[in-house]
Amino acid sequence: MANPFEDPDGRYLVLVNDEGQHSLWPSFAEVPAGWTVAKTEDTRQACVDHIEANWTDLRPKSLIEAMGG
Amino acid sequence: MTEQPKKPSQLEDVLPLSPLQQGLFFHALYGDDRDVYTAQLVCALDGPLDAGALRAAAGTLLARHANLRAGFRQRKEGTPVQVVHRRVRTPWEEVDLTGLPEADRAAEADAIAARERATPFDMAKPPLMRFVLVRTGEDRHRLILTNHHILLDGWSTPILQTELFTLYLTKGDDTGMPRVTPYKNYLAWVAKQDRTAAEDAWRRALDGVDEPTLVAPDAGAPGGEAAPGRVRVALPEDLTAALNTRARAEGVTLNTVLQLAWGVVLSRLTGGTDVVFGAAVSGRPPELPGVEQMIGLFINTLPVRVAVRPADTVAEALRRLQGEQADLLAHHHLGLADIQRLHGAGTLFDTMTVLENYPFDPDAAGTDLGGLAISALDGYDATHYPLALAAVPGRRLSLRLDHRRDVFDDAAAGRIMGRLRRALETIAHRPATPLGRIDVLDAAERTRVLRAWQGPVTGRAGTAPATITGRFAARVAAAPDAVAVRAGDTTLTYRELDERANRLAHRLAGLGVGPETRVATLLDRSADVVVATLAIVKAGGVYAPIHHSYPADRIAWAIEEVGAPVLLVDAVTAPLVADVRATARTIVLDGTEDGDGPAHAPDVEVQPDRLAYVLFTSGSTGLPKGVMVRHRDVVDLADDAAMTNGAHDRVLMHSPHAFDASTYEIWTPLLHGGTVVVAPKGRLDAATLEKVIVEEDVQGLFITTTLFNLVAEERPEAFAHLREVLTGGEAGSVAAMRKVLAACPDTEVGNVYGPTECTTYTTVAGMRGPLEAGETLPVLGSPIDDMQVYLLDEALQPVPPGVTGEAYIAGAGMGRGYLDRPVLTSERFVANPFGAPGERMYRTGDLLRWRDDGTLEYVDRADFQVKVRGFRIELGEIESAIAAHPSVANVAVLAREDEPGLKRLVAYVLPVAGREVPDLRRFAGERLPEYMVPAAVVVLDTFPIGPTGKLDRRALPAPDYGEALAGRAPATPEEETLCALFAEVLGVERVGADVSFFDYGGDSITALKLVTRARQAGLELTPKDLFTRQTVEALLAADGQPDLGFEVLLPIRESGTRPPLFFVHPAGGLAWNYFQFQRYLGPDQPIYGLQARAFTRDELPGSIEEMAADYLELIRGVRPHGPYRLAGWSLGGLVAYEIAVRLQEAGEQVDLLAMIDSYHGLDLDSERRQILPELLLGIGVDATMLDPAGNPDLDQIMGVLAERGDALATLDENDLVNVYRNYENGVRQSEEYRPRPFRGDVVFFTALQGRDAGSPTAHGTWSGLVDGTIEDHPLDVEHHHLMEPGPASEMGAVLAARLDELTTDRR
Repeated sequence: MANPFEDPDGRYLVLVNDEGQHSLWPSFAEVPAGWTVAKTEDTRQACVDHIEANWTDLRPKSLIEAMGG
Repeated sequence: MTEQPKKPSQLEDVLPLSPLQQGLFFHALYGDDRDVYTAQLVCALDGPLDAGALRAAAGTLLARHANLRAGFRQRKEGTPVQVVHRRVRTPWEEVDLTGLPEADRAAEADAIAARERATPFDMAKPPLMRFVLVRTGEDRHRLILTNHHILLDGWSTPILQTELFTLYLTKGDDTGMPRVTPYKNYLAWVAKQDRTAAEDAWRRALDGVDEPTLVAPDAGAPGGEAAPGRVRVALPEDLTAALNTRARAEGVTLNTVLQLAWGVVLSRLTGGTDVVFGAAVSGRPPELPGVEQMIGLFINTLPVRVAVRPADTVAEALRRLQGEQADLLAHHHLGLADIQRLHGAGTLFDTMTVLENYPFDPDAAGTDLGGLAISALDGYDATHYPLALAAVPGRRLSLRLDHRRDVFDDAAAGRIMGRLRRALETIAHRPATPLGRIDVLDAAERTRVLRAWQGPVTGRAGTAPATITGRFAARVAAAPDAVAVRAGDTTLTYRELDERANRLAHRLAGLGVGPETRVATLLDRSADVVVATLAIVKAGGVYAPIHHSYPADRIAWAIEEVGAPVLLVDAVTAPLVADVRATARTIVLDGTEDGDGPAHAPDVEVQPDRLAYVLFTSGSTGLPKGVMVRHRDVVDLADDAAMTNGAHDRVLMHSPHAFDASTYEIWTPLLHGGTVVVAPKGRLDAATLEKVIVEEDVQGLFITTTLFNLVAEERPEAFAHLREVLTGGEAGSVAAMRKVLAACPDTEVGNVYGPTECTTYTTVAGMRGPLEAGETLPVLGSPIDDMQVYLLDEALQPVPPGVTGEAYIAGAGMGRGYLDRPVLTSERFVANPFGAPGERMYRTGDLLRWRDDGTLEYVDRADFQVKVRGFRIELGEIESAIAAHPSVANVAVLAREDEPGLKRLVAYVLPVAGREVPDLRRFAGERLPEYMVPAAVVVLDTFPIGPTGKLDRRALPAPDYGEALAGRAPATPEEETLCALFAEVLGVERVGADVSFFDYGGDSITALKLVTRARQAGLELTPKDLFTRQTVEALLAADGQPDLGFEVLLPIRESGTRPPLFFVHPAGGLAWNYFQFQRYLGPDQPIYGLQARAFTRDELPGSIEEMAADYLELIRGVRPHGPYRLAGWSLGGLVAYEIAVRLQEAGEQVDLLAMIDSYHGLDLDSERRQILPELLLGIGVDATMLDPAGNPDLDQIMGVLAERGDALATLDENDLVNVYRNYENGVRQSEEYRPRPFRGDVVFFTALQGRDAGSPTAHGTWSGLVDGTIEDHPLDVEHHHLMEPGPASEMGAVLAARLDELTTDRR
């Protein structure tokens, strides 16, 4: 069974939620509520590169604030 | 033109068969279910009927159509032919039922129809067609027309019907009727087709179809008479119109629309995106004049492949499918069997579709039949497909789904029809929708799988402190004197534990541990683990346990990976990190000194979203990944209803700290005021387990599947005192669970499932109820509190019950992600379309299935992750490690199960051209934990490639686990019986009469099973017989021979060309334990054991030197000159060392010296120590079994030994005394032994368990004496358990690698 997150030739988005958490997302699927598109449809590699470059702190935003940054 | 025969012959023509006829003919000859190819048409004829005219019409029908007069036979050389008879008798029968009571007539008419269907046709005797006219009343008849499918197809039926009744009107005169186009014209057309081009087209069309699309892969052959179920739906006119409009708008046919819809439904039913089903095509070539009016067999079933790509829109998919099908139009003449043969994968599908767009509408014929009204009562065309969809166009498109009732009941078929309809609605109205968004579940189905079947919603968030520290503090305040930890003689109350943890926490804080700081731990099982774990979180830090089977490099890597400033070790694990270079400060915990900090908690604020721990799991990129779990997650697990039912208040801690079971073992009891009971050190066997459970009143524990199964086999009552035993990690055994439930009437067996990423457990299912209700699988049950498991297909749509989907887990307990791996985290912890806005779900890679009752069932893994011996392993990690070798060009690793129940890792390697492949297992062993080292390496010239150009993993050959194992076949009935018993207990297909039990993987447990089974079969056999004789041949030949097994030089395997390996006995004096090394060292390696003389003479040797001199003579007898290979366990290692030194002094070469946990010169205090308890412990018997005077109570000991069923169990009393004498002697000698220097390398095995700070080490003991390398292999086991199958296999692998190397070097 192939997985929609593992298709090297697939088209993807990068989604972000209010906590700054990132999700790779196949572009064919509807964007779930509570997520915004941080990077519009592109190759998997481009999306992965975007995540690598932009998601540098895996703590949720609210925790980063609670811990004083 | 055929030449007219001179004499009128009965034969009119001899013709070949069309491809489709050939297929049916061979099925009719060789198939066992003729009924499938019998078709039947039943018409009700209401009104005045002229039976004679109808009979005449039937006769004319047969006269007009030559192909209806054909018989089928084979020529002598095998070619099938159809022989057309000039004239045939009209098979006509009339039955009058009017003599029966009116109420019974319909049933009798049905019975006649059924009898007709059940009566086979003789293929050689035409016509293959029968008419029965049944009179059921005044002016009421039924015409039953039964024929073999080889004559005509469903398309022909209405033509035949029309012709028949047209001829009825003329009483059989066909003068006014159009001329019949003969079937032989069609055969001639077929013969002209380009078969090669057709084959190429089909080959292309099916390229890359990896597996068949089966909705019922386990369905048996179609069942005899059972009529298929049938669901009918007529679509509303507006939907029908919209579908036609859609078809026109996209330039496709209605057939294509239906096929896409069916493809989508199939994709949802099977979870695949590349689906194939059969489609009936008319098969009537348009270029053949008159073809529409022909009666005959043209219809063909052809595979339709639909790529249900989630990203394609409906419109794109329609156009592509139409294009693909158009390319195949010219090739419809190829038979299905031929097409499947071209593809090579056998049956491609088990569902089919047909669009019944017959060339004309029979109802519209409107012929006046003299007041006779005809209505088709029933068509019978036995479907042998689990699902067959038929569509009849019209103002309302009517759909009919025939289903095999043994596969889909009526309700299930109804649901499938509902899905088809929803797919059609989307196609009709929303052409821009990606296929992935077509939702085929109805609202009720969706609610069920997404909501109703999920974990209970507790609404607990925010009701209690959601941090470990907050919850623990509350417990300390509530009951400070309650017992928090029990560990042997140690008891810690909550206050004591709190204070110790606080002190250590202050000390850690002083070393820089603060919020989110990782602290690496490498700790043996003890109360200190609990103290240290708590201390780390109290300091605000994150514990990061490292598995002690990691090689030194990997330990250093892990410490760097978590960025830990501090590494906590204890006396046992300190030696493991002695050589590890890491920036972390190493703190050795010794159980008393936690630091002199204050006893109050450090002032650290902790939020529920802060991390509690990081656990490593195998990663596909070649390195493990750290799973980050938060305080909140731990608290949620501990608070779950499944954990707070009282069964988990006193929990046994025995799992490695680095396994996620430790979360349950430590925190479930501690956050609820319960007690953590620390299991004794060392390997836990069933007896020890039972003892600690009873003595410490343990109520709950978790145990891996493997261990659970073992205990269930050996001592199922061991769990009887527990309230619940949780088990999981691999697919569980229902048999083992039943055994335990039966032996433990008050204990529940909880089957647990869950990835580390979702905090240990996601589902917990009590098995007693289900198993008592007849359950046959280890079901997973439902998600626990506030957790959801979504089973999704490749389009991320929820799958319906019964369909395999990949599990995505959401809700409570889903951790933060992977430490410092944002990309990996974003691929695995993904947006959740089914939960609250902004939530994430974890993609597990596990394939699960919902049952209709809402419980989950485990199916498989979706990726290359496997579980071997309970360890979760990414094959990619092993592949990366092996690929790092410069001689390796490419590598693939597989977990194979060539013997049932025995999963082994196998590496397939393509070498770099011109390079020799060295010992890659050894290479891997230096880079990977032991459990990830492949059991075999297979060197290949090329990798098998599948049709898609990818590696075809299924085509990789099974490794030669030992070709020599075949052996000779059993020659006598006794041998046959015993070989069968061997095979049964070993779980192998067959066993050679002259091959050793131990070569097949037998060990002491299987040996015991064999003895039991042999006794049941009337063969008296003891484990000792088996250990000493080993083969079926020897066992049966042995009757009356003197007892074997105590000879000083014990031949374990005499055959083989390599220099023999000599194993010297341990202190007990017997070398039987070394038998098991046969299977690891290969058939070419001779092996001898050396045993103490105590069994054959009274005086004991005075020293190790004396023993060495004695054995050396025997060794020289077998092998006069070097090189020599020596090994020994414990005392045996010392004797082997002494022999090696003596050989070197005599100028001989010793190329292998292996010592198994051997140390000399220890102050063992032999005068005062109690030797017997140690001896008993050494063979696994509880020392308290002694009589009150402390004397050897031999009766009792013998009883215990007999129960254990291992090698020692077969000793008689005298033998046992000898073991004892020998042991006592040996211990003294090892104290007195003063070794001399040895030149060369030493292979050493260290038993890690049961060590203390003062325990000797390999390097400490031997590095001053040995001038070569001391290669130390640590084993997670106690000294006395080193010969158990697990550690023995690890040592076997090391020795095998070394021996292979010596052999290669020599070549």
